Amino acid sequence: MLQRRDFLKTSAAVTSALALPNIARAQASKLLRFVPQANLSSLDAVAGTQYVVRNAAFLVWDTLYGVDSALTPKPQMCEGHTVDAELKTWTFKLRAGLKFHDGEKVTTRDVVASLNRWMVRDTMGQIIKSRLDALEAIDDLTFRFRLNQPFSKMLFALGKNNAPVAFIMPERIAKTDPFKLISEYVGSGPMRFRQDLWVPGANAVFDRYADYSVRPEPGDWLSGGKRMHFDRIEWKIMPDAATAGAALQSGEVDWWENPIADLVPLLRKNKNIAVDIADPFGNIGSLRMNHLHPPFNDVRARKALLMALDQQDYMQAVVGDNPDLWKRLPSFFTPGTPVSTEEGADLLKGPRNYEAAKKLLSEAGLLGSKVTLVVATDIAITKAQGDVTADMLKRIGFEVDFVATDWGTLGARRAKKDPPSQGGWNIFHSWHAGADCVNPAPYTALDAGGDKAWFGWPKSDEVQQGILKWYAAPDLAAEKSAMAALNKASFDNVTYAPTGFFLLYQAWRNTLSGVVKAPFPVFWGVQKA
Amino acid sequence: MFAYIVRRVIATIPVVAIVALFIFSLLYFAPGDPAAIIAGDQATPADVERIRASLGLDRPFVVRFVEWSWQVMQGNLGVSIFTNLPVSKMIAQRIEPSLSLMLLTLTFAISVAVPLGVLAAWKHGTWIDRVVMMFAVFFFSVPVFVVGYLLAYTFALQLDWFPVQGYTPFSISDPLPWLRNLVLPAAALGGAFVALIARITRATMLEVLSQDYIRTARAKGVSQRPILFMHALKNAAVPIVTIIGIGFAGLIGGAVVTESVFAIPGVGRLVVDAILRRDYPIIQGVVLMLSFTYVLVNLCVDLLYTLFDPRIRY
Amino acid sequence: MSSTLLDPAVAAELPDVLPARKQRGRVAMFAYRHPSIFAGGLLVSLVVASALFAPWLGTADPTALAPAKRLRSPSEIYWFGTDMLGRDIYSRVLYGTRVSLQVGVMVALFASVIGMFIGLTSGFIRVLDTVVMRVMDGLMSIPGILLAIALMALTRGSVGNVIIAITITEIPRVARLVRGVVLSLREQPYVEAAVAAGTRVPKIIWKHILPNTLAPITVQATFICASAMITEATLSFIGAGTPPTIPSWGNIMAEGRALWQVKPFIVLFPAIFLSITVLSINLLGDGLRDALDPRMAKKI
Repeated sequence: MLQRRDFLKTSAAVTSALALPNIARAQASKLLRFVPQANLSSLDAVAGTQYVVRNAAFLVWDTLYGVDSALTPKPQMCEGHTVDAELKTWTFKLRAGLKFHDGEKVTTRDVVASLNRWMVRDTMGQIIKSRLDALEAIDDLTFRFRLNQPFSKMLFALGKNNAPVAFIMPERIAKTDPFKLISEYVGSGPMRFRQDLWVPGANAVFDRYADYSVRPEPGDWLSGGKRMHFDRIEWKIMPDAATAGAALQSGEVDWWENPIADLVPLLRKNKNIAVDIADPFGNIGSLRMNHLHPPFNDVRARKALLMALDQQDYMQAVVGDNPDLWKRLPSFFTPGTPVSTEEGADLLKGPRNYEAAKKLLSEAGLLGSKVTLVVATDIAITKAQGDVTADMLKRIGFEVDFVATDWGTLGARRAKKDPPSQGGWNIFHSWHAGADCVNPAPYTALDAGGDKAWFGWPKSDEVQQGILKWYAAPDLAAEKSAMAALNKASFDNVTYAPTGFFLLYQAWRNTLSGVVKAPFPVFWGVQKA
Repeated sequence: MFAYIVRRVIATIPVVAIVALFIFSLLYFAPGDPAAIIAGDQATPADVERIRASLGLDRPFVVRFVEWSWQVMQGNLGVSIFTNLPVSKMIAQRIEPSLSLMLLTLTFAISVAVPLGVLAAWKHGTWIDRVVMMFAVFFFSVPVFVVGYLLAYTFALQLDWFPVQGYTPFSISDPLPWLRNLVLPAAALGGAFVALIARITRATMLEVLSQDYIRTARAKGVSQRPILFMHALKNAAVPIVTIIGIGFAGLIGGAVVTESVFAIPGVGRLVVDAILRRDYPIIQGVVLMLSFTYVLVNLCVDLLYTLFDPRIRY
Repeated sequence: MSSTLLDPAVAAELPDVLPARKQRGRVAMFAYRHPSIFAGGLLVSLVVASALFAPWLGTADPTALAPAKRLRSPSEIYWFGTDMLGRDIYSRVLYGTRVSLQVGVMVALFASVIGMFIGLTSGFIRVLDTVVMRVMDGLMSIPGILLAIALMALTRGSVGNVIIAITITEIPRVARLVRGVVLSLREQPYVEAAVAAGTRVPKIIWKHILPNTLAPITVQATFICASAMITEATLSFIGAGTPPTIPSWGNIMAEGRALWQVKPFIVLFPAIFLSITVLSINLLGDGLRDALDPRMAKKI
């Protein structure tokens, strides 16, 4: 018996020695521990468009212009610009004294190389490129675009927040093939990326860049002074939401970018934790059909979906019971902006009508057709939408082939134009950040250019004309009418089916102050007590 | 002895080669596409195609396999598709947490299980034996993540004794944070091993106790405890060591889940993330390394036999 | 349960001393002699019954969504509560029994049959032995769960593919077991005699080898069945298992894992069912081993 008692005694002693109360935890107010929405596997927000990559890149690189919280572009690396009356010759001047993290000065050579790389990848950049006579450095701090057609949205293009972002990199890095990821992360932004401390999939470390040249204005999203109050920001990647929630409760992390809605009541109960909406522009859920293959090559089948789908089901499945977090969205565009519109969305309004949907389908001879629904089940938002869609499709008489897969496989499969029976697809789900859906410029999913359009390859000349009309619109009134016509054309074509508008939360320890709502985490201006 | 070791090490080559070919072809025919993930959700199909070409993912199977094998033979595991970092570096930075977790798990499992097994054998047929064995079967039957959540909830969130998650690198001057981070995951992962090792220990002890020489010793009036611990445990060491060798692969499997529940930056999480994102070079590198380690561990186990049981010779 | 659970070794020493017990009927006697088989068997039958009769046990459609009734706690209407899409967890758990049992039994069956075939081949055809066993070594050296995840990445999620993936990881163990038995039996005088007498190999296998391998394989199969059920749950938990439209225990737990703190019942009910099922199968396996081969019982 002695043996066992000894064993119990020692193990008890070990346990109590280990189980010190957590008073010894680091109180460093200069260290921010942040849980991002997803794993950070690269920092190239020009070659790739993942949100998490862009968010990290905002720390490391700076932009010529930057949008404020009203999405108005303000000068950032630039001192200012001049433009001729025709909006064809744009001349920009850099602020003096900007330096990259390797100590080199930022010159217009770097700017030209960076913009050349960005223009290949970005939708707005491609429009600029197509109208470009020359992009030239005049001296070390001055550069100029010479266009052969007017382009009114130049500043927005250079300062927009959605990827590909026009980040300014040293020339040697900017010369990387735009379709290849860069592997050296040197920028002129407020934080340096510590590549040596990077453990991809677990940990990413950013140190304050002492020589960062802060603008005097107050910081507002991507504009103004990006004042950094931390010496170090650590991104802790947590694949398990339950673990991230627990870590925030126990104070092991300071800020969680996207707590799942159902955990929020629990976090709210904790008086050390603050919870708020993350991004006021929210998100738009998407049910994307393949316009190339039956049944959804027939617009009647696409319209039948609009008649049957209940955005309330989708939104409750995605964000839960809290009615403040979602609303019905009879539109393709983010609600609540000056140009929002609900034109032409009649099919999405009113009570859901399975019978009418079935009738339309039987008229088209499509009742009982097979639908290959490909769902990325590793992402909560797409999985929840997929479950609701499977249920809805059955109700209106489709035969559903539910293909459960992960995001990586979905990414490959949705690019296939083959028929569903040969490895293609009929429907997949995604969602678009509301900030990308305020107008057609950053809105890849709205394009209906057929073969060149986003996955699903919708084709509608009306939609394409509407987009061009918006680009040409000289004032707000004209923009508004262009948007209304565009929304109607998109619903007539059913480019895709919006499944609703939803907001996501962010949560942080009360020791932090200065956390703002934005489509991306804004680290500058945040302080820790 | 030395010749034996050399022979065994050489024998690992075909095994590892088979594993390499198997994993490579498996991944080649898997439908996922890293290019699509890099490009991001909003990228156009044409962009995805360009990225795929720039990664060399559009080349035929044989070309890619031969190229990769050639590199591996030169000790180069390649570069991650996503991070552009060398695979060897990405594995190296993950080894310490995984190794720490496994060592602690094994230490925990052995130090709990062997006494329990001995106890059960000693009190053979009594309620103590039955309780211990029930406990063993029970821990065998609960998934590791359920144990993990229960432990985290009780000991980290409610009692606040241990951190909920994370890993602190080991340091000689202050190993306590390291240990505090690993206690819960090691306990969660160790449960099944406690069960396994306790069963083995009990069974072997029972067998040894029925041997003639023990009976003789007993008959001569040697008191019970010395018999148990001098003779029996020494003989029981062989099967215990065996089970550790066999259990190694299972330990890695369990570690995959444990590392993700407790957010430990180990090899298990690295490879699961890589599989889900189709980061081929990492998957190939890790699996190669793991199967090589497995083979080596079992070689060590075989060598340990000779240590514990001089009757075994090679 | 614990009252019937006597150590088999003790039970074996006792029967003749207690002749009166015979009067109590065969069931009690069987339970007394083989408490593990009895307890395990009883529990397994209960689980099987609940799988078979799921539609008549007060269940609703396990896949019917009702987002308006999401995350209800256990109550008279929803015995085990509802999940984040408003589906009835009681119904899902009960129907999930079917999936888990299907996976467990099928994997055990396929792994045993294929493993036996490979083991016999390799035990008898010495030319193939080295190659086959190296391949088996290779398979064994890849951690099973990783192999299964990789295999699942290769195919689309379906119960059939989960079964195939787990089977592949279990085959080497059976193959090695059978090969071991074959090699030791080949040395036996009566087998050597049969070989010398020119008996054909299939006949030797049928008459001498198979009967002797059946017992260890049966025992091994129960353990494979139990471990396959855990692997299935773990795969689904990681997100690489049965498609989420199918209510398997692993899927229910995976869906509830993030809400573990606020709605623990989502994870707990399937976890309890899984643990009890696996426990009872393990008990059954233990009991079978003791009953079929007392010598082997001492080994593991």
